[in-house]
Amino acid sequence: MKRLGTTRTAAPAQLDPSGPAAGEIATLWWWMLAGATVVTILVVTLLVIPILRRRGQAPSDGDDHEDVAPALTRRWIVGLGIVMPAVVLIGVLVFSVATMRTVSRAAPAGSVVIDVVAYQYWWGAEYPGEGVTVANELHIPAGQPVELRMTSADVIHSFWVPDLQGKIDMLPDGITTLVIEADEPGMYLGACAEFCGVQHAMMNFLVVAQPPEEFAQWLVEQRAPAAPPTDEESRRGAAVFEDAGCAACHTVEGVSDAEGATTPGPDLTHVGSRRTLAADTISNTPEEMARWLRDPDAVKPGTTMPVPELTDAELADLVAYLESLR
Amino acid sequence: MTEDVSAGLDTPAADPASQTAERMAELWADPPGLRGKLMAVQNDAIGKRLLFVGFFFLILGGSIDSLVMRIQLAVPENDFISPELYNELFTNHGSVTMFLVILPITEGFAILLLPFLLGSREMPFPRLGAYSFFTYLMGGLFYYSSTLFQLVPDAGWFAYTPLSLTQYSPDLALDFWVLGLSVAEVAAIAAGIEIIISILKFRAPGMTLARLPLFAWAMLVTAFMIVFAFTTLVVGSFLLEMSRSYDMKFFDPDFGGSSLLWQHLFWIFGHPEVYIQFLPAAGVVSMIIPVFARRKIAGYPWLVAAFVAIGFMSFALWAHHMFAVGLPPVVANFFSAASIAIGIPAGVQIFAWLATMWVGRPQWKTPMLFVTGFLVLFVIGGVTGIMVASAPFDLQATDSYFVVAHLHYVLIGGVAFPIFAAAYYWLPKFSGKLLDERLGKINFWMMFVGINVTFFPMHIAGLMGMPRRVYTYDAETGWGIYNLISTIGAFVLFGGILVFGVNLIYSRYRGLPAGANPWGADTLEWSVPSPPADQGFSIPPIVQSRHPLWDQDDLHIGDPHTVRFLHGLSEWPLTWRAAIVTGTNDGQPEEVIRVSGPSIWPFVAACGTVLFFIAEMLHTLWFLAASATVIVVAVVLWNRPEPVPTTLAEEEEFERAHDLPVRTDGGRALAMWGMGLSLLVAAIVFSTLLLSYLYLRIENADWPPPGVEVPGLLLAGVALVAVVASVGPMLRARRSIDTGSRSGLLSGLAAAGVLTIVGGGLLLYDLTQLDITAQDHAYGSIFYVLAGFLLAIALVGLVVLGVVLGAAWQGVFSPRRNAAVTNALRFWGAMAAMWSIGLVTLYVLPRL
Repeated sequence: MKRLGTTRTAAPAQLDPSGPAAGEIATLWWWMLAGATVVTILVVTLLVIPILRRRGQAPSDGDDHEDVAPALTRRWIVGLGIVMPAVVLIGVLVFSVATMRTVSRAAPAGSVVIDVVAYQYWWGAEYPGEGVTVANELHIPAGQPVELRMTSADVIHSFWVPDLQGKIDMLPDGITTLVIEADEPGMYLGACAEFCGVQHAMMNFLVVAQPPEEFAQWLVEQRAPAAPPTDEESRRGAAVFEDAGCAACHTVEGVSDAEGATTPGPDLTHVGSRRTLAADTISNTPEEMARWLRDPDAVKPGTTMPVPELTDAELADLVAYLESLR
Repeated sequence: MTEDVSAGLDTPAADPASQTAERMAELWADPPGLRGKLMAVQNDAIGKRLLFVGFFFLILGGSIDSLVMRIQLAVPENDFISPELYNELFTNHGSVTMFLVILPITEGFAILLLPFLLGSREMPFPRLGAYSFFTYLMGGLFYYSSTLFQLVPDAGWFAYTPLSLTQYSPDLALDFWVLGLSVAEVAAIAAGIEIIISILKFRAPGMTLARLPLFAWAMLVTAFMIVFAFTTLVVGSFLLEMSRSYDMKFFDPDFGGSSLLWQHLFWIFGHPEVYIQFLPAAGVVSMIIPVFARRKIAGYPWLVAAFVAIGFMSFALWAHHMFAVGLPPVVANFFSAASIAIGIPAGVQIFAWLATMWVGRPQWKTPMLFVTGFLVLFVIGGVTGIMVASAPFDLQATDSYFVVAHLHYVLIGGVAFPIFAAAYYWLPKFSGKLLDERLGKINFWMMFVGINVTFFPMHIAGLMGMPRRVYTYDAETGWGIYNLISTIGAFVLFGGILVFGVNLIYSRYRGLPAGANPWGADTLEWSVPSPPADQGFSIPPIVQSRHPLWDQDDLHIGDPHTVRFLHGLSEWPLTWRAAIVTGTNDGQPEEVIRVSGPSIWPFVAACGTVLFFIAEMLHTLWFLAASATVIVVAVVLWNRPEPVPTTLAEEEEFERAHDLPVRTDGGRALAMWGMGLSLLVAAIVFSTLLLSYLYLRIENADWPPPGVEVPGLLLAGVALVAVVASVGPMLRARRSIDTGSRSGLLSGLAAAGVLTIVGGGLLLYDLTQLDITAQDHAYGSIFYVLAGFLLAIALVGLVVLGVVLGAAWQGVFSPRRNAAVTNALRFWGAMAAMWSIGLVTLYVLPRL
């Protein structure tokens, strides 16, 4: 399976947050956990005391079937059952509303904007005004809020990077927005969080936060059309790409345009530069890519990618070509 | 006189009395044989069957499914099962547990217990109970039959659109889901109506609302919630099925629909559903704690207030399931506040229970163990519930394993534990044998350890970012160890459930005799022998306390008038099933009525219902029409007045002797409540459609869409006038009964019918002339559905009218017996109101 190599941490950890929104929510969580612990201990104590106190006593005595004293009832129900929860809950509510405000704050004007579209079972993204289209790997400048404008091409999906921010659904009805920010450069795992069909499990992605100057450089690289093949193998692979019908669904800038395809696939203009393939299902190595292209459904059951009918030689050429698109 | 009646709680001693009891037992018994099984209406039989159905589906969908899923998730990157199968399993697990397990169990307990708890002889509509059982069973089997055709639903128990629309789920799997579960929802509503009326009108003399056992209070609130929530879901499911079968566009954003409309409709049902499951459990706990703590419950009025508050509040917080759809922060904060606020009635309940235990002397019998376990687990599920009610935290937690952990603490700890407590507590009443204590303790500890080992680690996996509903995950995520622990716990938990099954079988043969009151409890069901006679109470008890068995030495003393009346009722009538209707609030006898006996027609109606839904799935028009006819005929026949074996003179003599009306036609209160609740269901259907219309209206800038004309006012206006005007002759018909004018009655009914036919016909004609289609835009879809509902209501009214007219022709009605005409009048009033609002919305609103 895939190896992420350079990630800060492979496992997502919303309680060890890497962005301001996730940080606010984590703080809220720790306070709520503290309150919850106190309440739970209180209730369990009040439950255990009568059990221990009465142990060994006769099962019945003279005061069987009596009423609980009204004063005690009032103290317990009003004091512990209403006033105490009210105080705790108002605290939770105030804290929540305050957190909601910062978590849902809009990005300042001039922030980087990314249009993200979810498909069954992968993610497409465009950087408007930059002429950059990517898939399954979002690059953002570290230390800056980035506005994501999101929609779905088919069913409802949900965009979730636990290290950075809460999730937001991606609806076929229109645009939802989410502002994410990574404090430090690093790589963060994202996932689809709304059940979206057979392969919901393998609909993941990476967010790569880079220092702003590196991010700017990355934009420049991604803006360039696909590099023409340089060696014989990838030249043959380019021909395979067109003959095998890949171009019907996959855009390679300067080579093919899949705009308007009924089942569009990821833009492959710079596929060789990506860390993983098939929505973060496998690492992007020639061997893994060959395994994917030989039988996509074996790697990711339920994928919309059809089996390209290729000979072993054609497959090797195609992999060489695609890996050359850096 | 008083001395005679109070001879004994259990068995009448004297010879004539035992003869009477024999005749009464004969009268109330269900007939023998297979046919008798299909005709059975006894609340014991129906209640036990519902419990069995629930337990059966618990093992099938609640347990087996989850074990297979847990094996698959035990280690990362596992390929024990395919993603397709995994998706089918979690869809099935959620659907079955939410629709086919807890509801039949709680409604089963209610139908089994309520007559004994309330001191009445039967449920008010025994045949409706039988219908509910058969529909539950057959709906569940219909749903499960999808397995046979390899068409297993796989879009989650929530079936979000558009994933559940034909574009993404093209085969019939989702139709099995929508239609099969709709049958079970109909069953839930039918039982709900039955339960409401039972609690409000079928109580022992003297049982005021303030003396109602807390389980009955909890079931009363629950049953109202079932009527509201499930009716909404049935409408939502209907819209989904119309979208799937007839390409309507309610949920399709490309054609003016909204994918979120489904989520709103689903969660307006879905959140109350959680409390529909929890409240009966809270009722059970409130019954068991005082008995085993040997103290009266602390804060009875507070608990009732908490139940009612939860009932209302649960309908105001559905959108907390939708925080992640991008609600405006103000809206999110509102639903956050509403959700958090439910912590207060929860707090009231918990501390009322704790206070009772604090002053009492808890006895460690198995029911009490489960209740104690419940308190611990419910607090853990409660505090995590407050956490996920916080909108910003929920943006992280929702659709992650944190929520899976939370909801299982609430549903297993908060609901299943009290159900097990109830089983250990009440089943001996009906089997006559106590369940084994040693096995009970093993049962409890395995389940208590199992639930914590299974679900506590899921909190952590969720906080580490593990999403729900994934069939596998990468090793590098670090979730593996928590999942492995969960899997081990699931097997322990399942082992605990199996021990319960073993205990049931063991106790059947080796169980100690239960006796009438093994726990020293306070409520009426413990005053009759275990197992009780079919008629429950040959001489109904008189209640003078909230805890009759603790506070009253004798259940048969009271004011002489009531004592004489109850004694009289144990001797006459012995040829039909007599029950007492009591005042809603004061519990004083109001009338003696006849409850219906065994009948095959509820079974036939249930078959018709399930066939109707199957016909819809197959899109076969003649099949639809045939099964609809079966339903109508069966319902008419099961409500057909039966010959009264006693004479009018006997009735009048009894009335004179006891100063209470005898009504062999079913009685006034029942007619009023039955019709009232049926109209409530119709009003909820109508309101749901109306709100869907308005929601779609707001979602669309252009309404109607460009190129579509608002339909003309003329025909619809005349139709509306005709239908509203038909209320007049209906009123005259009802008055003619009192004045004794047979011609006035017949002509009034006929005129109302003709006017309704004219109105309905005009509207139908108008609809066929319109230049709108139901398939091009959500506007047309909702237009035709709303208009179609008005026509359907008119059609139902005409069927009712036909039956009433037939009876009027035969001269059945008199100032004494006229419930059917009065009900028809009520129906007509409601129909006129719905037509007015509906047609103004459709024809006038778009012009404003």
